[in-house]
Amino acid sequence: MAPIIELRNVTKYFGSGRDQVTAVDAISLDIEAGEIVCLVGESGCGKSTTGRMVVGLLPPSEGQILYQGQDISAMERADYQDYRRAVQIIHQDPYASLNPTQTVRQMITAPLLRHQTQRGGPTANGSGRRGKRRDAERRAAELLEIVDLTPVADFLDKYPHQLSGGQRQRVSVARALTVEPKFIVADEAVSMVDVSIRVSLLNMLYRLKDEFDVTFLFITHDLALAKYFAWEGRITVMYLGRIVEEGPTPRLITDSRHPYTQALLGAVPEADPELARKKVHVELRSAEIPSLLNLPAGCTFHPRCPYFVPGQCDARVPALESIADGGTVACPVRKAESIQLV
Amino acid sequence: MSQTSDLSWHQSTEENGSQPPLSLQNVHVSYRTRAGSVQAVRGVTLDLLAGESLALIGESGSGKTTLGLGIVRLLVDTAEVSPGQIIYRRDGRELDVLSLAEGPLREFRWRDCAMVFQSALNAFNPVLKVWDQVWDTAKAHNWNNRSEVRERFLDLLRFVQLDPDRVIDAYAHELSGGMRQRTLLAISLLLDPQILILDEPTTALDILTQRTIIDLLRRLKEDLHFTMLFISHDLAIAAELADRVATMYAGQVVELGPVSEIFYRPRHPYSLGLIRAVPTVTGGFEELSSIPGSPPDLINLPSGCKFHPRCPFASERCSREEPGLERVGDNHFAACWHTDAVQEDIERNGLRGRRAA
Repeated sequence: MAPIIELRNVTKYFGSGRDQVTAVDAISLDIEAGEIVCLVGESGCGKSTTGRMVVGLLPPSEGQILYQGQDISAMERADYQDYRRAVQIIHQDPYASLNPTQTVRQMITAPLLRHQTQRGGPTANGSGRRGKRRDAERRAAELLEIVDLTPVADFLDKYPHQLSGGQRQRVSVARALTVEPKFIVADEAVSMVDVSIRVSLLNMLYRLKDEFDVTFLFITHDLALAKYFAWEGRITVMYLGRIVEEGPTPRLITDSRHPYTQALLGAVPEADPELARKKVHVELRSAEIPSLLNLPAGCTFHPRCPYFVPGQCDARVPALESIADGGTVACPVRKAESIQLV
Repeated sequence: MSQTSDLSWHQSTEENGSQPPLSLQNVHVSYRTRAGSVQAVRGVTLDLLAGESLALIGESGSGKTTLGLGIVRLLVDTAEVSPGQIIYRRDGRELDVLSLAEGPLREFRWRDCAMVFQSALNAFNPVLKVWDQVWDTAKAHNWNNRSEVRERFLDLLRFVQLDPDRVIDAYAHELSGGMRQRTLLAISLLLDPQILILDEPTTALDILTQRTIIDLLRRLKEDLHFTMLFISHDLAIAAELADRVATMYAGQVVELGPVSEIFYRPRHPYSLGLIRAVPTVTGGFEELSSIPGSPPDLINLPSGCKFHPRCPFASERCSREEPGLERVGDNHFAACWHTDAVQEDIERNGLRGRRAA
């Protein structure tokens, strides 16, 4: 079977002429149904742009995005609608992504009602408008239960400002589930939530994967969260619009090969004083991230890379090459070299 | 490092170590709102010791930022600090911060106690160049020798590893997030304060930038012996930089102790809950668990221990009687009726569940 989502040489430019930036530069990525894939990188690496292209909120400038083997830009109207329904996104900021003038009930029943209308046909409660509304209300209550907003009656008539950040994010998830998605892009979905509540949100998302066969593209800057959420999946590391390394999570976390991945892993502050003291930090040659307006030639990491080889790294863009323990890495110089961080 | 020793004029901190530079005594802060009085800080008693780094950790609404703003008296007009006392000491003199008049208060801020705010961009005036802002600050504190100020600021920029020529005549928007944060640190050090309060110093910065800021703060601590108060929701900042940690919940310090005690032998269920909720990146898979429920409503606080509705160790007593901070070890205090049960739980189940990589 075709991967549920496939990116083929996808590039995204913003602006034009001298102000043109390449946010995403010819990336390819296959995501199989049931997989968990994490997209990790710092701000400006193109991870959110990639997520927005996957859900159809931004068209790629070049390349193709395929949903279940079909190019989304060449789909028939009905297929395209099916794709837009099946692929949903949960945004970072639960304070901005919910309509402040609507109650939870309104936010969740609206897509349910619209969805039913499109499908047509009689429902359990009859085919009248009242029957549809009753169905939608019942389903809304089920969905709130699924996202652990219980007792449901306490939440149905609340407005967003009456909810905490974590509760709002659960409403966002319930709303995404109304259309029975097969694929969810979670863009920094837990970053703005208090630490004590993050894990329960992640565990809830993880449960959806099993109970509803949802495939996740989890976008985050936080490697520790990526490790926790995608331990049985894959991590893809992006830097300035390109994929520099990807692989099964345990391999990528314990035996990374790209100097950028190693620098990131070494730099992450650890919530453990011993570990924080012992951990090796990879010394970079420069602390500054190059501007997207003026990207370095060759490997874009070369001006900062401690293993820079003049004449090679600044001359050619390195291709992603397979490595024995799983995954690929775009660094011919260091692809075989592990480093010990602790 | 000969350069760094010139940067700090207060090398005597260790000699007067017997007297903490800052003492908070039973500090309460409440905000008046239409819905009622929000009790943001309730009875915090805490000493900031000379040369130490103390981290205040807690979630949003725990009162940590309110406490930080209260120390430099930058709270909004609807806030009231009462009862409570904040005593500041330097070179044998003692100030009652809460009763300082406008003039001495301006002296106290920045010269004695500087605060680095959370959002580095908002801390700058967008229409002033960095240097103009620095010069304004110096003049406001009666330092009118322009070349002296400039010399000092250039030194500080070099200390925070910035290119002085690039930064000094730039506007804030021309600097990257990490450069802004470092510039802000340099400005906060301009008048050689004894105490530095840092509110979420690395939040919203990229990982590699966070690392440069953490390394820089470590140099301030280890080479220049600044007395620092970190305010953060991020346990990692405390683990990386703190000598002592104070965990705050619902406006109170619920646990206080040396960093290794708090991280490896926590005795308050909330500290333990936070540690079990935060993943580390190095090593194998860890089983994590979150704390059930949400932070309390600060207008209608729960009875007894404010954490009891979320606490797995809670008993009937917890809903009736509020525990105070009690000694549980060397310099280690916790406000909980069940500190022994917490200890047993860690002995039985380990601090965090780990699976091999």
